[in-house]
Amino acid sequence: MTTESGAEDVTAATVPARKGRGGANWKESLGLVAIFVLLVITLSVLSPYFLTVNNLLNILVAVSVIGIIAVAMTMVIVSGGIDLSVGSIVALTGVVVAQLSHRMPTPAAAGVALGIGLFAGLLNGLAVTRVGINPLIATLGMLSIARGLSFVFSGGLTQTISDEGFKFLGRGYVLGVPFQVVVLVLLYLLAAWVLRSTVVGRAFYAVGGNARAARLAGLPVARIQMLGYLLSGLSAALGGLFLASQLGAGAPQAATGIELSVIAAVILGGTSLSGGKGAIGGTLLGVLILGTLNNGLTLLNVSSYYQEVARGVVLLFAVALDRLRLRLSATE
Amino acid sequence: MATGENAPPLLAMRGIRKSFGGVTVLHGVDLTLERGEVLALLGENGAGKSTLMKVLGGDYARDAGEIRFDGQSVEIRSPRDAERLGVRVIHQELSYAPELSVAENVLMGHLPRRGGPLGSVLGAIEWAEAYRKAGEILASLKADIDPREPVGLLSVGRQQVVEIAKALAGEPARVLVLDEPTAALTAREVRRLFETIATLRARGVAMVYISHRLDEVEEVAQRVTVLRDGRVAGDRPMADVSRAEIVRLMVGRDVAAHERGERGADAESGSDAPLLEVRGLTRRGAFEEVSFAVRPGEIVGLYGLLGAGQIDVLRALFGVPPADAGTVAVDGRPVALRSPEDAVRAGLGFVPEDRKTEGLILGMSVAENLTLGNWAGVAPGGVFRPERERERTEHWTARLGIRAPSGPGQAVGTLSGGNQQKVVLARWLEAGTRVLLLSEPTRGVDVGARADIYAVLEELRGRGFAVLLASSDLEEIEATADRTLVFARGRVVAEIGRADATQETLLAAAAGEENL
Repeated sequence: MTTESGAEDVTAATVPARKGRGGANWKESLGLVAIFVLLVITLSVLSPYFLTVNNLLNILVAVSVIGIIAVAMTMVIVSGGIDLSVGSIVALTGVVVAQLSHRMPTPAAAGVALGIGLFAGLLNGLAVTRVGINPLIATLGMLSIARGLSFVFSGGLTQTISDEGFKFLGRGYVLGVPFQVVVLVLLYLLAAWVLRSTVVGRAFYAVGGNARAARLAGLPVARIQMLGYLLSGLSAALGGLFLASQLGAGAPQAATGIELSVIAAVILGGTSLSGGKGAIGGTLLGVLILGTLNNGLTLLNVSSYYQEVARGVVLLFAVALDRLRLRLSATE
Repeated sequence: MATGENAPPLLAMRGIRKSFGGVTVLHGVDLTLERGEVLALLGENGAGKSTLMKVLGGDYARDAGEIRFDGQSVEIRSPRDAERLGVRVIHQELSYAPELSVAENVLMGHLPRRGGPLGSVLGAIEWAEAYRKAGEILASLKADIDPREPVGLLSVGRQQVVEIAKALAGEPARVLVLDEPTAALTAREVRRLFETIATLRARGVAMVYISHRLDEVEEVAQRVTVLRDGRVAGDRPMADVSRAEIVRLMVGRDVAAHERGERGADAESGSDAPLLEVRGLTRRGAFEEVSFAVRPGEIVGLYGLLGAGQIDVLRALFGVPPADAGTVAVDGRPVALRSPEDAVRAGLGFVPEDRKTEGLILGMSVAENLTLGNWAGVAPGGVFRPERERERTEHWTARLGIRAPSGPGQAVGTLSGGNQQKVVLARWLEAGTRVLLLSEPTRGVDVGARADIYAVLEELRGRGFAVLLASSDLEEIEATADRTLVFARGRVVAEIGRADATQETLLAAAAGEENL
């Protein structure tokens, strides 16, 4: 006994000293803030239109859909999962609300759309926790299913929404601030509190940090993972409503590929792809950097094809940064 | 076995020393092996058997000492060196590719190529030749195995034979090391393995046979070398040594003698109704009809050799995985233990053997790990009160002597093994658990922290906990348990009270010897 234990303790002593999970270490956040500020300064110099109140609000409106979904995505990734199906759910809910808005009161249609988002999240969660399918694959399946259904329900056509009240969601203002931005800010405040101060948030971190240990401490691991996917489906549906309201229509091809932007924003913000680490403030920074970059490229007349390339580059950069952080914390 | 009066032995290891980071594992060990001989290498866990065999197999470089083959001094610096000398080690965990055929596994790295450019350039395999060759080796072991069958479909016993056949392919094998070869075998498979060993002996292959099962060792080996604490405790011909003597050599009589009598007076203290009652607990393939009861303030040891079922019983009580049949009552009330959640609700707590992968969330702080899953007290209404969490953590770190210099917020991964283990224990104390299931609680823990953990166990006893302690460490069982259930092949084969529990009696019971 003693001999083996001796050998093991030697390795134990060399195990990297790691910081507690905490919100993205403030030094890391500082790096992100620096990137953001640098981006803003560069764009201000390059384009006279960039640093105007109108344009800054434009950026916030433009990132609101991605930003809303990124809140739940942060929780899913912190708990050790991932959800690729959010873009398709955005399209599906937009199509559903547009179709139904001609047959029932729009609030009821919106309720059905939110229910569909929740149901898609439920199926994702069941596939991952009950059937044991890898989250990447399970939600990739849902990505295809929801996208396919949005074409089925719409017949491939964009359907307009005529209800005037519905327009408020995506185009209304509260005290001069776009309603979507108000929702976005409230969601981030709520999520920051949930993740930092509540048992639900702690459970996400525990499950993502070490699911086996969390289970052996008596935590209902499957239910916690399920909650993440439910929130993710619901937030994608909410994003779908905002987008449909912005567009005044439900389009089956809408939001194609936004899951990549959302995941890029979350990872860029310091949430670890391997789970257990991350914070909502970082996600907000990631969303803002991504939105600002897109906005700047548009102002500079860069073709939207190149913007797609840029998005891929940012995703890879974010993941590379994640690996780098892991390595740094291992040698610290 | 072989005479060797004038001829030097096939293998002679002399004065082998090895230490790891200041801990000496081998203090100058001698080992001799004659041609065609089966040598039993015995010793408790940690006595140095595996390390010695890893030195022989080229996995570890020795610090001092000499290895001679046929009287000639050799250097073994890598597994490749060992292979060239004809040394083959068959580890306890078999290392085959389950999807590949028997022939591919046996001839791995030696598969015959086809003639012409197909074989020399593309590496195309001459399958007919491969099957013939593999079949030949298997036939030489008198094994009736189809070389075309995937290894994953064979029984464990046959996989073992494939592993031996693999060792015989390529350059001729002269020394075969079998590490616990029968751990996963049925009685019939053991018989077949012994026939294979006899065949190999007849061909002059020498073998080192490592096992805990003394009845097997007596049958298969001609000589026995016993290691204790990194030294040779004895080297005798099998015919001259009794089973009792082997056990004494392994355990070291002195240790057993001085630990006795320290406690014992209060062993009968807990006379209340049982806190934990287990009846007929069964999980097919792991354990059968296990029944026992634990009273408040009692520590019951579960002892057995590797894979005897004691750990499985402990884990089944926590639902990982649950038992197939049987009943469990906590404090007289029947409980269903299908999952850890059920177990925690029933008042059970589990301290797993591997705290890094199962006990703790290494990226989280001491406080977060300590309160994990038991949040009612520190997060009323689901919202954490940081000062309360801090206060509870400081309470337990002070109480159990957990050394976390940076305070409750320190990452738990930076603590020493013993302090980590105390954090897991503190979690269950904080949760108000009454039945504690401990699996190898001091594995990988240094001596000082070990004493601390034993002190915690004493405190648990005083507070009326029911404690189940599964351990493969005889000294630990002897020092802490009021009673010990000894497991063998999935059943409780003996219940030994504190007064009678010596390392000899425990080991003998576990190894299948009733009266010593």
